[in-house]
Amino acid sequence: MFNKDSRLDIHTFYKNMINLLNKDLRLDIHHLLFLSCAILTAAIAIYFVGFIFSTAMPVFESQGIIGFLTGTEWNYGKNIYGIKIFIFGTMIMTLITLLLAVPISLFTAIFLAEYAPSRVVYTIRPLIELLVGIPSVVYGIFGLFVLEDIFNLHVEPFLVSTLGYIPLFSDNTPNSGQGLLLASSILGVMILPTITALSEDAIRSVKHEYKEASFSMGATHWETIRNVILPAASGGIISSIVLGMMRAMGETMAIVMLLGNMKTIPSSFLSYGYAMTSKILNDIGFYVNQAEPRSALFGIAAVLFLLEIIFVALSRKIGGKA
Amino acid sequence: MNYRHIKGNIFKSVSYMSGALTVLILIGILGTITVKGLPELSLSFIFSSESEIQGFGGAIGNAVIGTVFLSLLSTILATPLAIGTAVYLTKYSKGGIISRSLSFLLDVMSGTPSIVLGIFGLLLLVYYMNTFTGGFSLISGSIALAILILPVIERATEEAINRVPGDIEDASYALGATRWETIKLVTLPYALTGILTGIVLSIGRAAEESAVVILTAGYSQFFPEFGVSPSEKLIFGVKIAPFQDLIAALPITVYHSFEFPHLVSVSEGFAAAFVLIVIVMAINAVTRLIVWRRRIG
Repeated sequence: MFNKDSRLDIHTFYKNMINLLNKDLRLDIHHLLFLSCAILTAAIAIYFVGFIFSTAMPVFESQGIIGFLTGTEWNYGKNIYGIKIFIFGTMIMTLITLLLAVPISLFTAIFLAEYAPSRVVYTIRPLIELLVGIPSVVYGIFGLFVLEDIFNLHVEPFLVSTLGYIPLFSDNTPNSGQGLLLASSILGVMILPTITALSEDAIRSVKHEYKEASFSMGATHWETIRNVILPAASGGIISSIVLGMMRAMGETMAIVMLLGNMKTIPSSFLSYGYAMTSKILNDIGFYVNQAEPRSALFGIAAVLFLLEIIFVALSRKIGGKA
Repeated sequence: MNYRHIKGNIFKSVSYMSGALTVLILIGILGTITVKGLPELSLSFIFSSESEIQGFGGAIGNAVIGTVFLSLLSTILATPLAIGTAVYLTKYSKGGIISRSLSFLLDVMSGTPSIVLGIFGLLLLVYYMNTFTGGFSLISGSIALAILILPVIERATEEAINRVPGDIEDASYALGATRWETIKLVTLPYALTGILTGIVLSIGRAAEESAVVILTAGYSQFFPEFGVSPSEKLIFGVKIAPFQDLIAALPITVYHSFEFPHLVSVSEGFAAAFVLIVIVMAINAVTRLIVWRRRIG
């Protein structure tokens, strides 16, 4: 009897409390639960961003932001840190990657959305999605153990013999296939499915009426694609390219294996380089205990992160989210 | 045939060739990995730990188990938070500046270069908090991976909730249900397929990640142990295995064939890569099955 009563009491107490929160304080316990989830997520995100930038702060103070970005020397002994070489390595590599990947993925997207019969689309699209599922280390060893030989023995000599009179195609490392072109080719394959899938979606979501209007004016299929569909889909296509670019810039494991890790600004398509991500990965294990070098490595991460934040803002702007 | 049609045909064939090239690249990569990895594959290679075979290299059982542990634990950590945040953003928030900034933050997180997250985990979880996490450990790796996949699950949940037809939610409100009852009994069950798809995809995302794992989970040639043992370095004086213990992961085994080529041969690297791709593909297949079952029934 006593037990039953006390249980009842607890039940009414709980009910009263909910009522109190609900009605009297105008609070909803479930609202509170979800709000705290959102606050916790936001706290993690803000702490993460803050942690990266505050750990990087000492190096920005000691080198100056301009000095850090434009310096060419990186020396732990002398405490001089400049990341110009790494910035150029990453930038040039990303640029070549886009030059290789964007045309192929764009035309593949046009093929899938406009030309291919639906049966072909249903076979090819899962295959392309499979490409996304291949881990980046696997791309790395594929590039290193399979493509490196092919590049060294066939691709690079061919390029040098046909285009070698242009300085951009000179081969400074004749015994190795590593370098910008190899790294960019692999990166290109890695971002190809992203750009293809998102561009295809963008092309497909163009209103049918636009297309029909263009056909009724007597335009050919290609003219319709070129002058109506692509401009209408350009927002989605550009944000897919930005997304692919972010993936290329942030890639670590494959690049550390393929770019050659040499501290020079690459002078040709075939020469070695050193990417920002590779520098962090190669050195952080040795210097995580020492304040100055650690701060310098976090400085690279902060610059990379800042670029990424800018691109996210950019792609949200294009994608229509405020 | 005039000039305009010739131009059209040229670009049409360029499109066809691009499509064919993409398929060729894919088949080339998958084919090469299979051909190079298959000779090394055997049951003992997949199911024994490296310590049982030759100390380092020679088997991947420890890495397979480690990958399963890491991806499952990180998903378990991230899922409640991600779903809660998504429900808040879609159903409770008024769409003001704060929720828009949170949405922006989530986009930033989902695009974070993995190396940046990796060194964050290395410094915070492995060094600063090593009395809690045990340094390089399963729990450090899982927390870092959870931060990585949180936005993936959150975005998937948000999309799934947004796809729920407003009519049936209105019907629920019309019957006198409260907002929470509507979310619990109408919105979430309807969006379940989309949410599950997001969760499964994020398991795959955690399984294939390497830069974060190598900087937070370390590596171990042994199968994970279970149990509690005394340890002076850790808080409470005990070490809880496997959580505070080193753990291996398949992507790192693959990386070892680059880092220590004389210990882990190239063909072993490709065999590990093959198993990793099969695992990720199986996870993707499960996703498709979820979506497909939903469409039928």
